[in-house]
Amino acid sequence: MIRFLVRSVVSTIVTILLVSIGLFLLIEVGSGDISVKILGVFATPEQRASYRAQLGLDAPVWQRYLDWLIGNDWWAKSRMTYPLITLKNTKTKETEWWADVGGQATRWKMEKGELKRLLRQEDGFSKAVPAVSDWIKGENSEYFFWGVDNRNNAVKFVKGAGEEVWVLTKAGLRKQGDGPRKYIPLRKGLIRGDAGMSWQYNRPVSVVLKPRIRNTLILAGVAFVVVMPLALFFGILAGINEGKPLDRIVSITSLGATATPEFVTGIFLIMIFGIWLKVLPAVTLFTSSDAIFKNPTMLILPVLTLTAVELGYVARMTRASMVEVMDSAYIRTAIVKGMPYWRVVFRHAIRNALMAPITIIMLHVNWLIGGVVVVEVIFGYPGLGKFIFDSAIFGDFSAIEAAAMVTVLIAIITRLIGDLAYTLLNPRVRYA
Amino acid sequence: MNAEASASNKQKREKREKPSLWKTISIVFDSRVATVGVVMVSFWLVIAGVSLFWTPYDPNSSDFIQNLSPNATNWLGTDHMGRDLLSRLMQGTQVILLKTRLPGGDHSIPGGVAIWGVLGSLILGAILGLNAGYRRGWTDQIIMQVLDALIAFPQIVLYLVVIAALGQGDLVVILAITITGAPGVARLARSLALDIQTRDYIRAAETRAESVWFIMFREILPNARGPLLVDAMLRVGYAIFMIGTLGFLGIGLPPPDPDWGSMVNEARKYIFVNQLAVIWPALSIATLVIGLNLFADGLREELMRYQK
Repeated sequence: MIRFLVRSVVSTIVTILLVSIGLFLLIEVGSGDISVKILGVFATPEQRASYRAQLGLDAPVWQRYLDWLIGNDWWAKSRMTYPLITLKNTKTKETEWWADVGGQATRWKMEKGELKRLLRQEDGFSKAVPAVSDWIKGENSEYFFWGVDNRNNAVKFVKGAGEEVWVLTKAGLRKQGDGPRKYIPLRKGLIRGDAGMSWQYNRPVSVVLKPRIRNTLILAGVAFVVVMPLALFFGILAGINEGKPLDRIVSITSLGATATPEFVTGIFLIMIFGIWLKVLPAVTLFTSSDAIFKNPTMLILPVLTLTAVELGYVARMTRASMVEVMDSAYIRTAIVKGMPYWRVVFRHAIRNALMAPITIIMLHVNWLIGGVVVVEVIFGYPGLGKFIFDSAIFGDFSAIEAAAMVTVLIAIITRLIGDLAYTLLNPRVRYA
Repeated sequence: MNAEASASNKQKREKREKPSLWKTISIVFDSRVATVGVVMVSFWLVIAGVSLFWTPYDPNSSDFIQNLSPNATNWLGTDHMGRDLLSRLMQGTQVILLKTRLPGGDHSIPGGVAIWGVLGSLILGAILGLNAGYRRGWTDQIIMQVLDALIAFPQIVLYLVVIAALGQGDLVVILAITITGAPGVARLARSLALDIQTRDYIRAAETRAESVWFIMFREILPNARGPLLVDAMLRVGYAIFMIGTLGFLGIGLPPPDPDWGSMVNEARKYIFVNQLAVIWPALSIATLVIGLNLFADGLREELMRYQK
């Protein structure tokens, strides 16, 4: 058992690494120039180059992958004069990077050729003071300094040779002289719990992702609770009535429901309940973050759509497995020896018949996630699936990676649960 | 003399094979479920064939008033751009079942996107699965690890990113179907190979010092073809399902040729005005996929009955 656990943990880690590398390479090749998406098509090549440098995209591929995975503050630190610290912004609750200069959180900027310290005040604002003494003499008798700037980057200033940079502000791109020469966008890395910044929303991925995951868990959870008892009930019912009209009806209905794509089911449901009968909302409008709790009727159509597809699948699996069990010798023996029929079904058959569906349901979760994407797109439901869809279209690297890691984790965890449930139900299984 | 003998041998073999082939086909009609499936699928195949030579109107030209309901000229009505829906529905079968458009030109090759995609995943999956199942040991471990990663990979991201990288196109959709289908096929092929390789004729082939690839593809594969074919049939259904979903999400087969998924997606914006433009292609996808599923299901049941 221990060996089995160790093995599955190792295999999980390898799987996650493979997926993250694969995704990284695909996005690297696939998504093209992200600056087009952020700055628009009318930005000049200089503006793009400057902006890409600010995002740290001028670094080689392998380095960006490692930065994403294990962070880059540890090697940025080695270049800096003062140690790096992270502080929570009191207003946005987002993590900010500062340098610790003798207990004073400090950032730097260059103004009119002069280096200035920005000292962090209690209220969260900062005060600028000159910092000429910070310059360090490097080779070729140029003076440089590695500090932290206003946008959580480790930056290299060079005295008398400020770069012209283009900074993205709310009003658009603005040209600034005296910019840094080099940027390292500071991050802790995924394995230390920092999923990076989302380029699309310009906020930390974890902040954007959390409510999405919650919404999807509610949707999928409700669907699961609705589907499982119904599917098992109908599957068992059809299984013990094999070949009778009841079985035919259940089998054909469930086949039809499974073979109809989610978007077709969803649109039919919208048409029937939203347009013709006008009894249920046809879209999910999130006017506030807890809108589902205020108006749970919004959930009905998305859940029904997911139910239609999943119900058929699970019911078919259960039916097939039930038919097989009911055909076996020990069931016949139990019936022949005069045991009441319902007791044979409940005590002897069901336990064995549930083994196959449970493992298959658990393996099926990944497919369910694909279905969730479609359902969320149809109904405009702000969940994980729609988030993945939007970020992949935008090319928002950190966001896709983080969301994909969540889905991979869900898939792997459910598979493990499936394995464990299988061992619990089937004492014959022993892991060598 | 020698050539003659081999020729007569060949004849004998053909004689033996012919009735068995017919038997395999006639199995389908033993099952009512499979017969219904065959009827549904052939209905669409016939429509696809007809559409190659004739459609009521040009599917891509806006000749009529927008969003008409069914009438004498347009049997199924028109869509939001005034195109005849019947013609578009008919032409929509082609990209799925009959032709694949090659990039950068008017050329297309026979065999639809769904067919080529499934064929691709069969080939890739069989190579991986047979290698894993027959060689076992480290090869098995590595292949299964990669397949696990592929299965865990969120497919929708894979599509979006591949399509972003290579642009919309029939070949890209084929590639996507191949990659997402291969792990399933490989798992099946592996389990079959694990079972078959314990047989005596594999020992015999090994004693004859046949190459590994010969054993895998000439000894194991032909004996594993039954389950693989039934699985492939189901996969064609899934592939059509997937093409529809991709079209619905706006990242499927490229315009201007109609494709059912994108027809649903476009007509969805006018759903309050013209519901039929959504209903027709949606029904088409559903019936074709259900037909394929019934066919595969019936076939599997019949094959299993024969095995018993």
